[in-house]
Amino acid sequence: MAEIFDILVGGLLEGGVFAIVALGFSLVFRVANVVNLSQGAFCVLGAMGMYYFQTVFGWAILPAAFAAVVCATAFSLLIGAATFVPAVSRLPPSSTLVLTAGLLTFFIGVTLVVWGNQPYALPPFSGEAPFVFHGMRIPTQGVWLAGVSSALMIGLWLLLHRTTAGAALRACAENPLAARLMGINLPRMMLLSFGLAAMIGAVGGILVAPIMSLQFDSGQFFTISGFIAVAIGGMGGFAGSIVGGLLLGVTEQLAAFYVSSLFANTLALLLLLVVLILRPTGLFQAGAQRRSDVRDDVRVHRALVRLQGPKSLGFAVALVGVLVLLPALPLPNGLLPSLVISLILFIAVLGLDVLMGYAGQVSLGHAGFMAVGGYAAAVLSTSHGWPPLLATIAAIALSVVCGLLLSLATGQLRGHYLALATLAFGLLIDSLAVGLVDVTGGPSGLVGIPAFAVAGFAFDTPVRMFYLTLGLSVALVVMLAGGMRLGFGRTLKAVRSDQLAAAALGVNVGRVKVVAVCISAALAALSGALYAFNFHFLSPEIVSTNRSFEFIAMLVLGGEGTLIGGFFGALALTLLPTLVQDFAVFKTAVEGLILVVIFLVMPEGLFGRVAMWLQAVPLPGGRLKRMGAGR
Amino acid sequence: MTVPALECRAVSKAFAGLRAVDNVSLTVPAGSLCALIGPNGAGKTTLFNIATNLYPLTSGVVRLFGADAAGLAAHELAARGVIRTFQTARVFPGMTTLENILAGAHLHVRAPAIAQMLWTRAARREEAGLIARAAALLDMIGLSNSRDVATTDLPIGAQKLVEVVRALMAGPKLLLLDEPAAGLNDRETSELAALLRAICDAGTTIMVVEHNMSLVMGIADRIFVLDAGRLIASGAPQDIQRDPKVIEAYLGRTEGRRQ
Ligand SMILES: Nc1ncnc2c1ncn2[C@@H]1O[C@H](COP(=O)(O)OP(=O)(O)O)[C@@H](O)[C@H]1O
Ligand SMILES: [Mg+2]
Repeated sequence: MAEIFDILVGGLLEGGVFAIVALGFSLVFRVANVVNLSQGAFCVLGAMGMYYFQTVFGWAILPAAFAAVVCATAFSLLIGAATFVPAVSRLPPSSTLVLTAGLLTFFIGVTLVVWGNQPYALPPFSGEAPFVFHGMRIPTQGVWLAGVSSALMIGLWLLLHRTTAGAALRACAENPLAARLMGINLPRMMLLSFGLAAMIGAVGGILVAPIMSLQFDSGQFFTISGFIAVAIGGMGGFAGSIVGGLLLGVTEQLAAFYVSSLFANTLALLLLLVVLILRPTGLFQAGAQRRSDVRDDVRVHRALVRLQGPKSLGFAVALVGVLVLLPALPLPNGLLPSLVISLILFIAVLGLDVLMGYAGQVSLGHAGFMAVGGYAAAVLSTSHGWPPLLATIAAIALSVVCGLLLSLATGQLRGHYLALATLAFGLLIDSLAVGLVDVTGGPSGLVGIPAFAVAGFAFDTPVRMFYLTLGLSVALVVMLAGGMRLGFGRTLKAVRSDQLAAAALGVNVGRVKVVAVCISAALAALSGALYAFNFHFLSPEIVSTNRSFEFIAMLVLGGEGTLIGGFFGALALTLLPTLVQDFAVFKTAVEGLILVVIFLVMPEGLFGRVAMWLQAVPLPGGRLKRMGAGR
Repeated sequence: MTVPALECRAVSKAFAGLRAVDNVSLTVPAGSLCALIGPNGAGKTTLFNIATNLYPLTSGVVRLFGADAAGLAAHELAARGVIRTFQTARVFPGMTTLENILAGAHLHVRAPAIAQMLWTRAARREEAGLIARAAALLDMIGLSNSRDVATTDLPIGAQKLVEVVRALMAGPKLLLLDEPAAGLNDRETSELAALLRAICDAGTTIMVVEHNMSLVMGIADRIFVLDAGRLIASGAPQDIQRDPKVIEAYLGRTEGRRQ
């Protein structure tokens, strides 16, 4: 009995933080109509500030907490004003969603730079001795958490319902157009909600830091948990957020106790997927659906530069020629293996480009398919002794089946719910990779994976792997470029830009999406298998959600909807850490920043720049296709 | 008699109390060019939307080529030869004019995706054929010069024309056009009228929504007049022109509305 009580108390405490994060999600979602995936990072920013003011500078609890909240909020406001607010007004919602994933990556990266990768725990506010009530032991920090978060929620409710600023915020949420006509400054309201969400998050982080030890990537944990809570409770509903958070906390604690702590996360994610699929507006949402809940998001290319004609052929031949000759040159140590990694990742990015760049469907869980492919190939070739080629083919088939199941299950979802379901899928696969220790080797990974081999010829040196991956990449690009130029590509682009008009011309939109998902799943699986065979090793970290975000960063950096662009993105993000010394610690922050900045200022990507530059070269025959919407 | 292309029997559509389409019955004979006219807000677009299953009917039956259309998705209707355009031109952003028109041929692309990827001879030949047809259509609407321009950069009138020929690329049996002449000047409007007549004479049934009567008077076989959701008249153009109800309800009011 006391056991159950402890579990429940633990669950409610954890759930309290999830509820706080969920509240932040709802607040921003209501005003800006975007799920702000960087929400969880605010908790860590707050806790980090607290650590410095309290532990390092030796301030008392109250001033330290106050200063930490102020600093974290100010920093978030700066970042929000520079990125989030312009993004909401300029980008389609799904791109803004991806941008907030970039912000999350950026905040995680900043924490990594400041804190390094060890965990931190703050001292409890009122000492270690628990509070005893009728023989039940409650940690004092829990009392603080419950008290302060209740006060926070009441304060927020009062702000929204009893002040003019709150009325303006609610007006933006209910009808942005009318709010603007009434003279409400929409960007300022968005910033206000973003800042409030950051403040709430920082407070939550400070309260929870003595209970859970935090480290640089805890922000992702909070985002995911808070997001599950808010999705269960109903996006945009405050009461639902709180109930969803508490429910999730208790469920996770119960699952960890009665099932296994390794699977606690898996169960929560399954719960999320089921809720997303069956009741996308959440369990408790009574109000009307928001337009964005059901709208087919039109993802127009803001700037799309594709090279066509002889110049593109010349460029391709020159590029491939240089790459083919590379191994013969005296290269700096480690360059060739890095090129191999770039090419392997490029194959996955190609798949993402078909899905996201052409068909316009955002995937935040692309690495999930890479994991399926990588683990399937690795397990089949080690435990079952299959030849690598056969194992790879089977891995691709399995990944395509997963893609089919995912797209059938999520077939009814629209707009950002679809993107969020892919996020849940990636996280689910990730948690399975950690949890299924017997199959995947758990957190420490699988070792002893053989080299890729075809008919007895092993690709066991960097040079051989280089030619293998280069050959595959070239073949895939040539094939996809062919398909994208003809009817298949036009159909994908039509679905991307106007699903209704496409359907009116006979396009079976649902089926096209399924096909795009399957192609992307197949390429991600191939990439995963090659990765495993190349390193003879695979661990959950390699195919985690960070990797999914990295794929998007590579694609956006290189240029969406160009196929070849992803190569430049993958190359840049793979080579940077090896070329610039001591860069490794900044890698995450820079990746996040790149994703955000490129989205805002260079939507055509690196390849788009190259194409424009080539266009300026006075040679005959170059035809550049440049398009943006509404110019 | 042959089966009518479109038959509405007592169809109604209510939006939260407002009867946007109220108990309308009409028949579009196969091979004819019919016009649906009426003042703004009469329910013309709504009638199109329910005929193409964009919204569920409140009551009534819609038959397309004799078969009940209930429950068919937009792409299934298109596959049965029912192709529509939209009142606000919905050309694909991010595509050139040529690509936009080629996209209309979706139902007629035979080469499977894998053959297209492998750039097979059959796929290339098919593409060349489609491009030739698209170029001829572009020429017909006088937009050959805009072939490689992003369609969204063209004037609205031109975008609506592109949408019409994109629909033609789909090889419709029944073509539903929602205000195709919006944004065109008088000369372009009469050219469009001639084009529509020619398409119809070549065997395509057309139903065109217009609120400008002069376009349709010269070319339509039959005109339906909607007002406030109800069908107030139908018949040959000359009869419609003389119908006092039409003159009063439609012409009189629109004149009055134009400030
Ligand atoms: N989706 C909708 N929701 C609510 N009312 C609508 C909707 N679509 C049309 N209406 C209303 O139905 C009436 C008919 O509109 P519509 O069919 O667009 O007229 P028309 O095309 O003849 O100008 C108008 O009063 C319009 O406001
Ligand atoms: Mg209309």
